Amino acid sequence: MELGQGLDLASLGSQLLVGLSRAMILFVVCAGLSFVLGVLRVPNVAHGSLYMIGAFSAYSIFRFFGSSTGGFWLALILAPFVVALVSLVAERALFCHLYQREHLMLLLFTFALMLIFGDLVKLAWGPEYCSVVPPKVLRALPRYNFFLLIIGPLVAIALWFFTNRTKIGKISRAAAVDREMVGVIGINVSWVFAAAFVIGCYLAGLGGALVVPTVSVCLGMDHDIIIEAFLIVTIGGLGNMWGALVGSLIFGVTHSLGVLLWPQFAIVFPYAAVVIVLLLRPRGLLKSVW
Amino acid sequence: MLKVEAVDKSFGDFMAVCQANLSVDKGELVAVIGPNGAGKTTLFNLITGQLWPDRGRIIFKDEDISGLPAYEICKKGIARSFQIVNIFPRLTVFGNVQVAVLSQRRRSNTLFSPAQNLAVEETKSILESVGLSDKVTNIAGSLSHGDQKILEIAIALGNEPELLILDEPTAGMSPEETAATLGLIKNLAGSRGLTILFCEHDMDVVFSIAQSIMVMHQGQTLIQGKPQEVRENREVQEAYLGGG
Amino acid sequence: MFRGIIDRKSLWFIGAILIVLLILPPILPRFYTYILAVIFVTSLLAMSLNLVLGHGMIFQFHHGVFYGVGAYTAALMLSKTSLPMWIGFVAGPVVAALVGLLIGWFCVRLTRLYFGMLQISLGSLIWAIAFRWYSLTGGDDGIHGIPIPSLISSLNSSYYFILIILVICLVALYLILKSPFGTTLEAIRDNPQRCEAVGVNVRRHQLMAIVIATFFAGIAGVLFVVLEGSVFPDLLFWVLSLEVFIMCLLGGWFTFAGPILGAAIMVSLRTFVGIFTEYWTLILGVILILLIFFLPEGVMGYFLEKLKPQVREVAEGRGE
Repeated sequence: MELGQGLDLASLGSQLLVGLSRAMILFVVCAGLSFVLGVLRVPNVAHGSLYMIGAFSAYSIFRFFGSSTGGFWLALILAPFVVALVSLVAERALFCHLYQREHLMLLLFTFALMLIFGDLVKLAWGPEYCSVVPPKVLRALPRYNFFLLIIGPLVAIALWFFTNRTKIGKISRAAAVDREMVGVIGINVSWVFAAAFVIGCYLAGLGGALVVPTVSVCLGMDHDIIIEAFLIVTIGGLGNMWGALVGSLIFGVTHSLGVLLWPQFAIVFPYAAVVIVLLLRPRGLLKSVW
Repeated sequence: MLKVEAVDKSFGDFMAVCQANLSVDKGELVAVIGPNGAGKTTLFNLITGQLWPDRGRIIFKDEDISGLPAYEICKKGIARSFQIVNIFPRLTVFGNVQVAVLSQRRRSNTLFSPAQNLAVEETKSILESVGLSDKVTNIAGSLSHGDQKILEIAIALGNEPELLILDEPTAGMSPEETAATLGLIKNLAGSRGLTILFCEHDMDVVFSIAQSIMVMHQGQTLIQGKPQEVRENREVQEAYLGGG
Repeated sequence: MFRGIIDRKSLWFIGAILIVLLILPPILPRFYTYILAVIFVTSLLAMSLNLVLGHGMIFQFHHGVFYGVGAYTAALMLSKTSLPMWIGFVAGPVVAALVGLLIGWFCVRLTRLYFGMLQISLGSLIWAIAFRWYSLTGGDDGIHGIPIPSLISSLNSSYYFILIILVICLVALYLILKSPFGTTLEAIRDNPQRCEAVGVNVRRHQLMAIVIATFFAGIAGVLFVVLEGSVFPDLLFWVLSLEVFIMCLLGGWFTFAGPILGAAIMVSLRTFVGIFTEYWTLILGVILILLIFFLPEGVMGYFLEKLKPQVREVAEGRGE
């Protein structure tokens, strides 16, 4: 079946698959961003940098284990923990001292982290470091895209379970709505924030590790992803995980559409979708947590 | 002048205001009373546009103003003071009132004339009428609580309103300050011909100056009438004044 | 128009600085003259941001976009059309203000946090388009060799041109801030709900402030073109916006001239640190953290509080 411009159903289908799997990676990253946003009420600008650290770490671990498939799975497990550790250090050393200050200061702190992490990656891996896409071994990975399609919902379910069924999760939801009350009933709010921050960053690292087979891992990844993540979280509804899912899907699919129809400016399509959504629902598609 | 007709407002499952009715005639001094949580401030927020009613209508000078944004309602001639002090803490006392006057004169957007030279007379005369002339250059945030509440009223006066709504104007004031504020309110009603709607917890204040009293309980209007009627009404006595 | 809004002492002080700046170019080595000119352009950019940031508490996180748009507009008009140069110079700020109106209209309907996030994203769209539209904007190379009118093309003459425009713009900004518009803007910053209650259409007022600020940012962009003769997509990149934001904070965002100080410090630091290391971004991040923890009022704010007793009242009023 012809769709004009030499398009056919097969290429439409495969591009759609790419778009959906890309949306899943976006979702993992945005779920983390949304979670932190919901509990701490601060958009973590350094979220993209942590994603980048996750990607670089995963790639290095992969190379360390002889660039083998097994090495990649190991990287997928280890890299997010590396990122979580980095975020824990940043949080305990500096971030937690700012919780009493206005939100602008917290936001600026995450800006500073982004600047610092960006250059730390440059220091650690060198300014010319860029991976080959995709590594030969991973090309042999059968159906990586389908794997991503499963990961996305898994993360969603795990996060939902965590926030709704576990004690810590419920406490963090309460802290999002009324942190003073939570403090009054004797819970250490600072630790709740730390936990939420680390979990969010873990997801960022996971997203970074997941993306390694599909794009080249280079400096500048942090800027690209944070902008997309901000857009997605804004149209999905601040702090709302399902909103992040919806937003990611919209983003991924429209981007694929763009690639099919106008490759040079494919990026315009998701932005146009965002603009349309915001014209109709300025507060986002789903309810924001606050 | 002002008619509130069967207005509802709920927040989620909680019905803050339910079928509330209120009537204010021109030149009247009307009080709204009720226990804490009765919905008085919510009702005021509905009238001045900080909130919008779910159902019902609010009619001001024969015009339906329900659903209009706050700044438009202000331009129609309603000004208010807030229960919790809501001034501009970083500006001077003069600056606080001047903002309102400039807005009233539609000069808020003037770009190239120095603000300190505009609307000086009007601002000063308002501050004089409320008794804050000697504190004109003080930073508003440094005033005493009582003075800040008076500043609240002064800011509202800057809008040259026809209807002035005061939300607990004497809350937190000492007896001397309360008496002074009462005098001020009576003065404003008398000399400026202002219509005043206010709510209060201090029953002495209410019964000494109000010409008409509306009683709220759990979001509903129990009764509105002259002070004597209200005092003798049994429902009101049971619900609010402590029976008998 | 000027009655009573500035005191004698300040006027003498400003006059003295101006005279010094005017006589410097023939004395200084070219490099320092160039740095001063860069400081002038950056100061204007920072001052334009602070109109909405410090005086309006509007989180304009991607102010650089309007700077870049002004620069690119002027560059394109000068290099690709044969229209007279002054049309290009005027078009820069006008187009920047139009883009400011458009983006501002979207963003101003949202509250602070959303506003900033959305602006970063929409601004980045413009960056992405400029970055990819090779035929029009030269893509990641930018545009070079823009023909600047010979009257202002040499370093010294562009220095004077930029200084004159800067002074005019600063005077305009000062008048605007002291006008009812500025007073109302600051009132909105302190208590938007109260402003609504006194009849101010807060959103529209904020949008007007944004348009004015982006207009001046566009002028700064044009000055950049005059100085450098080129444009790059980096002007539209949000890290530059972040730098400008930090300049305002560093200098003192609740003061009038703080951003100028911030710009001077940042440009000097960037130039001289850049000689020793390529990890300027790291240093910038550390500076920002130090600012957050130790100097939230900025350098000028800090000194003002220490030197002037009556300003302490303001500080206490703020703590209320």
